[in-house]
Amino acid sequence: MTGDEWHDSFTRILLEQGVDPHEAQRLSEDSRAEAIAARRHPAQLFGPAAAYAVAVARAARPAPLLAPLARAKGPVVLRLTNVTKRFRRREVLRGVDLTLHAGEVAAVTGANGAGKSTLLDICAGTLKATSGVVERAARIGYAPQQHGVAPYLTADEHFRLFGAVHRMGARKAVATGAHLAAGLGWRPRAGVVASQLSGGTQQKLNVVLGELSRPDLILLDEPYQGFDQDSYLDLWAQVYAWRDAGAGVLVVTHLLHDLDKVDHLLELQGAEDR
Amino acid sequence: MLLAIAGTSLRELTRRRSALLLVIALPLAFYAARSDEPGQAVRFLALGVGWAVATLALFSHVGSRHLDRRLAVVGASPTALLLGRQLALLGTGFTIAGAYLVLVAVAQDVERLWAVALLLGTTVLVAAPLGAVVSLALPRELEGALALLAVMATQMLADPEGTLAKVLPLWSTRELTTYAVDATSDEFLRRGLLHFAVAFALCACGAWAAAVVRLRPNTPPEPAPA
Amino acid sequence: MLDATRQQWLHGFLDFCLLCLLGERRDYGLGLAQRLAESGFGEIPGGTLYPSLLRLEKQGLVQADWVSSTVGPRRKYYRLTAEGRAAAEERVAVWREFRQAMDRVADRADLAEVETA
Repeated sequence: MTGDEWHDSFTRILLEQGVDPHEAQRLSEDSRAEAIAARRHPAQLFGPAAAYAVAVARAARPAPLLAPLARAKGPVVLRLTNVTKRFRRREVLRGVDLTLHAGEVAAVTGANGAGKSTLLDICAGTLKATSGVVERAARIGYAPQQHGVAPYLTADEHFRLFGAVHRMGARKAVATGAHLAAGLGWRPRAGVVASQLSGGTQQKLNVVLGELSRPDLILLDEPYQGFDQDSYLDLWAQVYAWRDAGAGVLVVTHLLHDLDKVDHLLELQGAEDR
Repeated sequence: MLLAIAGTSLRELTRRRSALLLVIALPLAFYAARSDEPGQAVRFLALGVGWAVATLALFSHVGSRHLDRRLAVVGASPTALLLGRQLALLGTGFTIAGAYLVLVAVAQDVERLWAVALLLGTTVLVAAPLGAVVSLALPRELEGALALLAVMATQMLADPEGTLAKVLPLWSTRELTTYAVDATSDEFLRRGLLHFAVAFALCACGAWAAAVVRLRPNTPPEPAPA
Repeated sequence: MLDATRQQWLHGFLDFCLLCLLGERRDYGLGLAQRLAESGFGEIPGGTLYPSLLRLEKQGLVQADWVSSTVGPRRKYYRLTAEGRAAAEERVAVWREFRQAMDRVADRADLAEVETA
């Protein structure tokens, strides 16, 4: 690979990683000048173009705030009181209580089959609790675990469709979607339908659709399947960014990572046959 | 919102190339099999178009059920979701029907060409909601396609004067075909339109009721301030 | 195994190291790599060093300027901003405390070994 090829591939991957084109151009010129000054081949100085581009793209993201914002707890966006769910004789949820304010993150954990997705569906409103009281904010974002995207639509078409439901203009919806995608290290390409995206990227689309309308409450169901480690960290950074921006976030997870920072931890005990 | 749903739905349909091609080719195969006899040719063609549109509707509604549910949760009205997808299907169906109308006009000797247009139109109008109804009862593509196959094959084979044929959704197509091809009395037109009206109303209401029941979220009340 | 541990630690401390070195004086990328090597950290690959500098720049702790030279090629020089200086001081204080605690714990491991021997 010649130096020029290295720089071309570096620039291309920066763009794929969601770096703003002007910024990518600048970073590319910088690395070129840096290699010239060091009188070395860029691969020798920086390593493989792909790996370096990923590292630079991560570093170039808008800086997370060094000190967390002084968060004022907002109004209650989700309140579960003694929520129970039974499917025929099988009790999946028993006596679940939770009060989530705007500006807080709640993580729901538990083994497979412990009712995590059921709880999320009840919060979203696709399922009805057998007993107990559910109250939640009207404006929600919802990213289900599976089938959250349409295989035959491109990312921009998804943004326009969801934008229409949220009564946003088409242009604004696409711009917002692209901006949010960049935060997860992804730049949607025109003409590529969802079924052609990798599993991890489909999940990024799923998550972006969940937050497109800047909702008061965001419900996420294990959106990490197919995510690599970096995407996983980006997602959590995003979760805390939503929180700091004043949204309440409910995340279903089986990964016991990073849970020391969440405001509420709801551990579900699992199903019982009765 | 309705137009956005119809537009994206239309895009999805046109991207399912192989399904779309099969669906376009199917009525042609039916027609070719009986092209020697105008009455049968038009009847088989229309039933083929009906089958094609119903199958396409089935695929469209089965494929979008999870997404529609998600859209409904964040505020899309179930009626708009159903109507949007149906508009896209009707548009596709009328386009296919229009192309085959030209074929009939060129290749067949029929008494009333306008009635052929009418019967192709009524067939599409019944078939699109029919596919939606089947997708709600049988939420998988294979089972649904087999069910439609059973309905359409029975429609073709059953004695048109028998009760069985009359309770099937596209009996009107046969009555209108007779009227269009053989210059029969207005009685056939009247019976055909009446049957169409009933079949259309049943399928449309069924699809609408099911969409509302299936998609309408149980939106919980907003929290009272603590 | 030991190399991996070292690398992991360095990864965590690289931003801090750079703040300290830039606190001493402004420098360019290769100069910083050299000074790190002289300090005993071994060779730092550019693929690690430059993203770290970029991150500090994005956080507003470091300012970068291209400087032309009459003798050599133009180079990008980094220097601490006022915020960067404050952050460096703060981290040095935290580090001193942390190191004392770490030393106390590490010294115990030594004693235990003597007793069992």
